[in-house]
Amino acid sequence: MTRLITVIFALLLSFQIFAHGPTPQKVQESITVNISPNKAWAALKDFSEFTKIMKIRSVDEESMKVKYEMIKKDVPFSDYNAYIVIKNGANENESVIQWTARFYRTYKLNPPIPEGQDDETAVAAVKAIVLPGLESLKKSLEVK
Amino acid sequence: MIFKDQKNKIITLIIILSIFLLYFILRHTNNHTALAYITNQGEDTVSVIDLSNKRELKKINVGESPLGVHILSRNKLAVIGNVKSRTLSVIDINSNILLKTIPLNFTPLGITSDTSEDRLFITDWFNNKVAVLSVKKLEVVTTFNVGLTPSGIVFNKTLNYIVISNRDQNTIEIYEGGNYKLVKKITTGLHPFGIHTIGHYVYSANVYDDSISIINLNNFSTQVIRVGMHPYSVVTDKGFAFVTNTQDDSISIVDLNRGKEIEKIAVGENPENLSIDSNDNQLIVTNWGGDSISIIDLKTYKVIKEVKTGLQSRAFGSFIYQ
Repeated sequence: MTRLITVIFALLLSFQIFAHGPTPQKVQESITVNISPNKAWAALKDFSEFTKIMKIRSVDEESMKVKYEMIKKDVPFSDYNAYIVIKNGANENESVIQWTARFYRTYKLNPPIPEGQDDETAVAAVKAIVLPGLESLKKSLEVK
Repeated sequence: MIFKDQKNKIITLIIILSIFLLYFILRHTNNHTALAYITNQGEDTVSVIDLSNKRELKKINVGESPLGVHILSRNKLAVIGNVKSRTLSVIDINSNILLKTIPLNFTPLGITSDTSEDRLFITDWFNNKVAVLSVKKLEVVTTFNVGLTPSGIVFNKTLNYIVISNRDQNTIEIYEGGNYKLVKKITTGLHPFGIHTIGHYVYSANVYDDSISIINLNNFSTQVIRVGMHPYSVVTDKGFAFVTNTQDDSISIVDLNRGKEIEKIAVGENPENLSIDSNDNQLIVTNWGGDSISIIDLKTYKVIKEVKTGLQSRAFGSFIYQ
C-alpha cells in the first residue's frame, strides 16, 4: 500500500493552470492484476494518507473510478487530468486497472514547435509515468 | 354573373390546392435525415452520422488533427479545420466525398459563416486574427486583428455581428459583420471557449470558472451561472441552455428564466461539443474520451444512444446538417 501511495503521490506534487495549444493528447494503458475487482478498488481508493496534499477530484464507487488532477512544473506536459478505473477481469479473481490521461504539450506558441516541447515528447513523458505506475500498482496490489 | 363567381371560386380552389401540393412537395424533399459531421482529432478523420437511424454512415479522411467544423447548409458543404496540417478540408454533403483541401498559413480553430454563406470566418489561434474566406473562391480574402487566442466564433444573424471568445484574455469580442469594426469587448469568466448566439444574447462556456456567461447585446450586461467542471461548449433551445462539462462527463441543463442549473445528464467520457438536431428534437454531444457521440432526447432528457465514432471526437462548432 505504501508503494501505491508513493506512486500516486509522486504524480500530484503541484497544481498550476497553464495556457495550452489546441490539441489535447491521450494516453490510455491497462494492466491485469490477480485480485478481485472489489479488493483492487478497496486498495486503490484508500487515499486517507495523502488526501491533504493531492487533488482527487472525484471517487465514483459505482464505476470504481478515481479522477485526479496533476500538473507538475518540471515536466514536458501540462493541463494533466486523469482517471484510474477498475474493471472486471477474465475471472472473479482477476481485474483490469485502466489509466487514462488527458494533457497538452508545453509549447503554446505558433509552429515551428521546439524539440522537447512537442506533442510526441509530452506523450512519451506521460507514458513513462503511466506504464511503470501500472506495474507498481500491480505489484503493490498483488502483494496485499 | 353567377357563372363568373363560380369560375373565380374554381380558380381560387385550384390555387389553394396548388399551394398545398407545392408545400407537400417541398416538405417532402426537405425531409432528409439530419447528418452530424464529427471531427476525430486522434485519427484524422470525420465520422458522418445518420442522426435518425443513429449510426455511422461513413468515415472520411481529412487533414491532420481536425478540430473545427461548420456546415454550409445552402451550399451543402461541411468545412473542417485541421490544426496540425493547417488546412481546411471541404466535404460535399450530397456525396460525402472530400472535395478540396485548402492550405492556410495559420492554425484554424473556430469556423462560422455569415447568413448568406458568402463568407467564412475562421479564428487564427496563434496570430490573434480572424481570417475571412470567400465561400465561392474558397480562399482567404482578408483578415482582421482581434484579442488574444481567439477560439469560438459565431455569427449573430439578428444584429449582423461576428462574435468571438478570447480564451486567454477572458473576453468576448463583438465585431460588425460588414466592416469588421469592434463594437464591444466584454469580460467573461475565466477561459471562455465555446460560444453560442441567438437573438440578442451571447453565451460563453468558461472552462476554468465552471460557469457560463450570458451577455445581453442590447446593453452588454452579463449574467454568470454555475455549471459542472471545465465546461467547453454551450447551446440553447426553447429557454434552456445545454453545457458540456468535460471533466464531469456530464451535460448541465440550465433554466434560463430561473437563471440556474436544474439537472445534470451523464454522457460519455470528456464531452466537448454539442449541437441540436431539431429534425428529431435531440441533443448531440461529442465525447473526446469516449470516442463517441451521445444522443439525448430533448423531451425526456434521457440518453437514447451512444454511437461510436473515431478516436478523440471533438467537432468544435455547429456540426449538424439538417
